[in-house]
Amino acid sequence: MNQAQVTKLVSKLRIKVAPEPRRLRNPKGPEGRLDKLRKTVTGLIKFERIELNFNRADEARQYAERLISEAIVHGDCHKPTMEIADYWLLEKELIHKLFKVLVPRYENCNTAFTKMYRAPRPLYSRNIEKAVLELRGNPYPSLINKQYSNRHLIQNVLLDAAKYDYRQAKYAEMADKIGKTENQELNKLSKKDEITTE
Amino acid sequence: MISRFGYIINLLKALERNVLHSFGHPPRELAIVQIYERQSSNPPKKFSIKDIIGDGMLLAVPKFRRTIEKRWKRKFGSPEYVWKMLVPKTNIKVCQDCGHHHERGRLCGNCYNRVESETKEIQAKIQEKLGLNPIEKDVIVLYEGENVPEMPNEFWEGKRIIEMKKERPQWFSKNLLQKSTQQPSSSKDVKPTDLA
Ligand SMILES: [Zn+2]
Repeated sequence: MNQAQVTKLVSKLRIKVAPEPRRLRNPKGPEGRLDKLRKTVTGLIKFERIELNFNRADEARQYAERLISEAIVHGDCHKPTMEIADYWLLEKELIHKLFKVLVPRYENCNTAFTKMYRAPRPLYSRNIEKAVLELRGNPYPSLINKQYSNRHLIQNVLLDAAKYDYRQAKYAEMADKIGKTENQELNKLSKKDEITTE
Repeated sequence: MISRFGYIINLLKALERNVLHSFGHPPRELAIVQIYERQSSNPPKKFSIKDIIGDGMLLAVPKFRRTIEKRWKRKFGSPEYVWKMLVPKTNIKVCQDCGHHHERGRLCGNCYNRVESETKEIQAKIQEKLGLNPIEKDVIVLYEGENVPEMPNEFWEGKRIIEMKKERPQWFSKNLLQKSTQQPSSSKDVKPTDLA
């Protein structure tokens, strides 16, 4: 096995890719589609969190992931990578951001560089699937707060106390029961003793 | 109807002829005189829609009644394809943070609105500050009354501080900043981690 593993040489997407194609029809054909995706990737790198239609987000996410991983693997002195970055980032100051901000941020990242959530759907409206696409490690407030798992949250403190009380009460009950049965057995034994002695 | 009426008349005529034949012909004087009156010369015109509308026009209208099946399909839809009846949703969850309801597998609407408005504010601030300069530094957001976390100088080399001119929202945890800070080893008190 002296041959280098091909999978290690090519950057691999760290996200799931849906098997069915995403419908992004465009009057200009594939070219227009790519233009749209370029705009989206640029927006994602610029704003770090954007909300857009689900299919567009899903497709643009893959390109953004690939772009960042290429940048990490090859660095900014690699000509083809630079060309790719030049193609995908319409605002040229973002190329600096890609190599000087995002690459150091994600160098040691083991997971995907982006996150995507399904946006809430309004109750009565056209049914358009929206998604929120963001870069990991952005400075904005997080979309999913996991405060409910925080032990110091007041509800959790109260619940813990209630659980503790309940458990203590149960223990006391059990202790009472055991004590009673022991007493009864002792009484029975003493009665038997009395009978035998008679 | 008319044909049946004519048939009855024919029947009666035949009956009359038979009866009269059995008694022989009545005398000529008693014969019924048929007076044929000539009607107006032009015969009654056939009905035509053109007489009513003239040069105007008419809209297309349905010619036949839709079957009940089709009407019900239109009204209620079809369960396999588009079902238009109101169906209870079974994928509603209660948000663990704010208690509002949201669909399973989706962000909570209430929480998201809050986060979205704050995000937009920060984004606007960042864009305003950065302008068109090449972006070479990572961004750290500080709210009013917050101090720069104590960090070694190397940490600050590649950072750009964005100051928001308001206090940090209660729900926006400081965890982002706490992740990289290290508490001095001498302190013994436990601080809540995720609280605002
Ligand atoms: Zn919520």
